[in-house]
Amino acid sequence: MIFSRGTKATAAIAAAAALAMVATGCSQSPAADDNGPITLTITTFGTMGLDGLYAQYEKDHPNITIKATNIDTGGNALTDWKTKQAAGNGLPDIQAVEEGWLGQVMGVSDSFVDLRDFGANDIKDRWVPWKLGQATDPKGRIIGYGTDIGPEGLCYNSKLFEAAGLPGDRAGVASLLGGPSATWDKFFEVGKQYHAATGKAWYDQSGFVWNAMVNEQAEGYYTKSGDLNVKDNATLKGLWMQLADAAKSGLSSNQSQWDWGGGKAFTDGSFATFVCPGWMLGVVKGQVEAAGGDNTSGWDFADVFPGGAANWGGSFLTVPTTSKHQKAAAELAAWLTDVPQEVAAFQAAGTFPSVAAAQSDAGVTGPSDLTKFFNDAPVGQILGSRANGVVAQFKGPDDSIIQEQVFGPSVKEIDSGTDGETAWNDALKLLDQLVVNK
Amino acid sequence: MSSLAGRATTPRASRLTLRQKLGRWDVRYSPYVYIAPFFVLFGLVGLFPLAYTFVVSLNKWDLLQGPGEWIGFDNFRAELADPLFWNSIANTFSIFLISAIPQLIFALIIAAVLDQNLRAKTFWRMSVILPYVVTPVAVALIFSNLFGEKYGLVNNMLQGLGLDPVLWKTDALPGQLAIATMVNWRWTGYNALILLAAMQAVPRDIYESAAIDGAGAARRFFSITIPSIRPTFIFVIITATIGGLQIFTEPKLFDASSSIPGGVFRQYQTTVLYLWDMAFNRGNFGKAAAIAWILFLIIVIIGVVNFLLSRRIASGESARLSRRERKKLEPRS
Repeated sequence: MIFSRGTKATAAIAAAAALAMVATGCSQSPAADDNGPITLTITTFGTMGLDGLYAQYEKDHPNITIKATNIDTGGNALTDWKTKQAAGNGLPDIQAVEEGWLGQVMGVSDSFVDLRDFGANDIKDRWVPWKLGQATDPKGRIIGYGTDIGPEGLCYNSKLFEAAGLPGDRAGVASLLGGPSATWDKFFEVGKQYHAATGKAWYDQSGFVWNAMVNEQAEGYYTKSGDLNVKDNATLKGLWMQLADAAKSGLSSNQSQWDWGGGKAFTDGSFATFVCPGWMLGVVKGQVEAAGGDNTSGWDFADVFPGGAANWGGSFLTVPTTSKHQKAAAELAAWLTDVPQEVAAFQAAGTFPSVAAAQSDAGVTGPSDLTKFFNDAPVGQILGSRANGVVAQFKGPDDSIIQEQVFGPSVKEIDSGTDGETAWNDALKLLDQLVVNK
Repeated sequence: MSSLAGRATTPRASRLTLRQKLGRWDVRYSPYVYIAPFFVLFGLVGLFPLAYTFVVSLNKWDLLQGPGEWIGFDNFRAELADPLFWNSIANTFSIFLISAIPQLIFALIIAAVLDQNLRAKTFWRMSVILPYVVTPVAVALIFSNLFGEKYGLVNNMLQGLGLDPVLWKTDALPGQLAIATMVNWRWTGYNALILLAAMQAVPRDIYESAAIDGAGAARRFFSITIPSIRPTFIFVIITATIGGLQIFTEPKLFDASSSIPGGVFRQYQTTVLYLWDMAFNRGNFGKAAAIAWILFLIIVIIGVVNFLLSRRIASGESARLSRRERKKLEPRS
């Protein structure tokens, strides 16, 4: 009896001790030493084209092991980053950050390492100036190294164009839409011709078009000084009404974005044009291939974009201050954004380099799997030409909320036949609810 | 002076050996140590977050920027006046109702069928639990594909029959029906097995004597089976209610590419999803905490109502039984 009670007490004490160890155990960590063997963690998302590069870096730096995590979409990656940022725990040594998050990132820019402490000043001339400007916080700290930018060109299906009696070659399409002075008016006008000839839609859905329209303005949802710029904005309203009219005329295929029926919409002739920033080329290729298509499906890439030069997306590599190996992480980030690596990433995923020297590199301008898919279009050269005249737009703290939650429902409305005025007013109502009176 | 008497006992107590003292402490305190792990864990992951969430809800609190000013119950006031909040509550209850009611009816029917003398009993019983084994994420992905508006299997079949395609991801009711289908697919078999266990416990001789008295299968089901499994049925209803008010994965992943969780018009955004959106997309932690507390209170209220109802039903049952017994006794007297 006594014996058994004794063991029970011992067991209880042991259990309590074990619990205490669990509670305190996670705070222990080995001392940081960047020269010894270290593990760097990196979190990326979507198709950034970096995955093939880590092995080479590990080979050149035997003391470094890279543990990479790739999150499927930018949206999920944003949630992941925000959760960990809010918890102040679990962030990787290198965090990839998307342009659309910048408004939120800059609000907490102090929690990112100032890369000038690790040699950013020596390499900052690498990038096109506006990209570097985006990564610089209001206090002048450089918190990110640019990977890619998203100059927008026009993907189109040459087979569908020719079947509708329109020119199918790249130069012909570019001049049909107005060449360097292409406008949305002209784009929708040709779309109506196409629709009249075929009865089919011109573009996949209105969301990406609206995105492009907003992104190519000097000031988008916010003014340069950070004030909301939606209500009473005649430019945006005018573009919106144009878009609503186009959708009402049957130019939108009303597809669900990022889904496209598993890519089938790209191969069954549902629509003939598609808004294509550099990184989207890899997405189009992936969608077409998922639906069983290939380079004979007719997709091509033209050096023209309605409304002028536009940029959509592009990313940065940042080092959170929670990193225990800030120096090593900054070195890896600098290496990943150097010319040869950005060229390799472009060849893997179509992410157009933000480093000027890489943009004109033969690896970017020359042939690749991507050029083969797009009917031998010189995609690197075209993107380089599309990048001319791009200006960085200020992204406010609620930019992505306005894009997705304020205009998202209204975009779906005009695609389903609601008139532009009603949809615009619905968006303003949501703006009041979600952003102004938050 | 009077304390002298008290002091006198102290030396006597200290005369106990260490071993005896340990034994005494063991008897007195070790039970608390045994139950401690649960309470420590509950305090850590249950009680503390609950209290902390309440503190958060009283502040202006941005997810990334951290706590702002103390604003009392302003977050609660704002949420109770927010049409989007009430939209989420209405969606939650409507999805709950269109999922729970058919689910429980089908579970009852399946359990009744499984309760019969079937060949390969274990096979059938295993089969109904299979959907439960599949993770909700996989279920949501498959159903989301089936219910695709342009390329989904369901709409293809409808169009094959010459009907109009249904806008599962744009219109409110079809979307909620599709989500209810997912929930039902997953939970019907699970509930059927619990009900089956209760049915198996009903004494077979009651059925036999009823059969001899001339009661048909339907009559036996409604007059014997259902009253006998009532307590289990109430348990199933309560768990289905709590689960139904916390539906998250299915609406979150039904249209995963949607820019707004729960449908582009929030047409099937449940309250838990609204809470998540508030915290992690809109970044308003204070309001999200307030929503969490309101939802908690709603669930507590529904739990209490459930409890009172089930107590009334249970006592009603015993009253009926005693009446029945009285009747049994009557002819003898």
